[in-house]
Amino acid sequence: MVQLNLPKNSKIKKGKYFSDKTGSKNIKKVNIYRWDPSSGENPRIDTYEVDLGDCPSKVLDILNKIKNEIDSTIAYRRSCAHGVCGSCAMNMGGKNGLACTQPHAEIDGDLDIYPLPHLKVKKDLICDLDGLYKQYQSIEPWLKSSSNSETSEIIQSKEDRKKLDGAYECIMCACCSTSCPSYWWNGDKYLGPAVLLQAYRWIIDSRDEEREKRLKKVADELKLYRCHTILNCTSACPKGLNPAKAIAEIKKMLATSNL
Amino acid sequence: MENKEPLSPHIQIYRWHVSSLVSISHRITGIINIIVITFICFWVSLLLLGENNYLMINFFLKSFLGKFIILAITWSFSFQMLSEIRHIIMSLGYGFKVQTTKITGFLVIFGSLIFTIIFYIIGKNFI
Repeated sequence: MVQLNLPKNSKIKKGKYFSDKTGSKNIKKVNIYRWDPSSGENPRIDTYEVDLGDCPSKVLDILNKIKNEIDSTIAYRRSCAHGVCGSCAMNMGGKNGLACTQPHAEIDGDLDIYPLPHLKVKKDLICDLDGLYKQYQSIEPWLKSSSNSETSEIIQSKEDRKKLDGAYECIMCACCSTSCPSYWWNGDKYLGPAVLLQAYRWIIDSRDEEREKRLKKVADELKLYRCHTILNCTSACPKGLNPAKAIAEIKKMLATSNL
Repeated sequence: MENKEPLSPHIQIYRWHVSSLVSISHRITGIINIIVITFICFWVSLLLLGENNYLMINFFLKSFLGKFIILAITWSFSFQMLSEIRHIIMSLGYGFKVQTTKITGFLVIFGSLIFTIIFYIIGKNFI
């Protein structure tokens, strides 16, 4: 059922205010979602005044600066800082993206940073992605072929290889799935754009021999057809991929094939 | 249960895009249209019961509220029609680039307003 309001324990309160101490004129106000599991209190929004005169260009740089210089208690995931690992996925300025590739200059006014939407929060900007990983496992994202080809190389033509472009680059950062209202309301059953893009990736792989089985598995009122082409996923993807188109292609395949 | 993990905010903080706005409007106008079509069918069958009903319907349609409702329904139908065309094109696998969805989204929104005006003018000349 569609639940528009947040549950009682998730209502956001006003938090602390950290004033700028450097005296710089180039200040940006950064509002960050905070929740401490040990406090037993509701989440709050802390506001930090950050000196941009001495800060590199990305949102992750701002977070690092806050953690290093202002408030070391803030928790967030990060690793590669080059848009490859997908750890620092979060909601910045009302849109999901990777903090390490999102320039803060592109967000006008105050910078609002929230964790990925509609997930259980572990601490501050860290969310629980277990459900998504389980769904990813459910589509069996590995090559399936009969045993005699396991010992020899499976040849793939250049054209067939080209079909995987735009699907294999996905880093599973969950920006798209958590931007999808359908996934918010039906995340337990609907697979979501990230997992469906991967399902598509294995369906169109010419080397895979279980194409029909995969299609049948995904052909489900809730698993697939909860996509209502809202297209938040495509506009959120930090890698410029198009999960919405992949889902449309799966629907097209199901409509045109005799399963 | 005091320490239960909270749910991160979703619709409260997510920015609206043209595509999401058109999508939700498509669904709302769809429901409205179903109700309206059923209603119109009942209304038309009421005419079989005599002239009094005709006069009553006529009186209602000439009132300000009646005109407003007709205009709203015209918009709802126009929007649904254009948005459905957009969806058919998408079902064929076209128009998924972010830029394209923005353009087609705006076309649906402005197109529906233009259609409403055109239908209203045509209808007015007939009645």
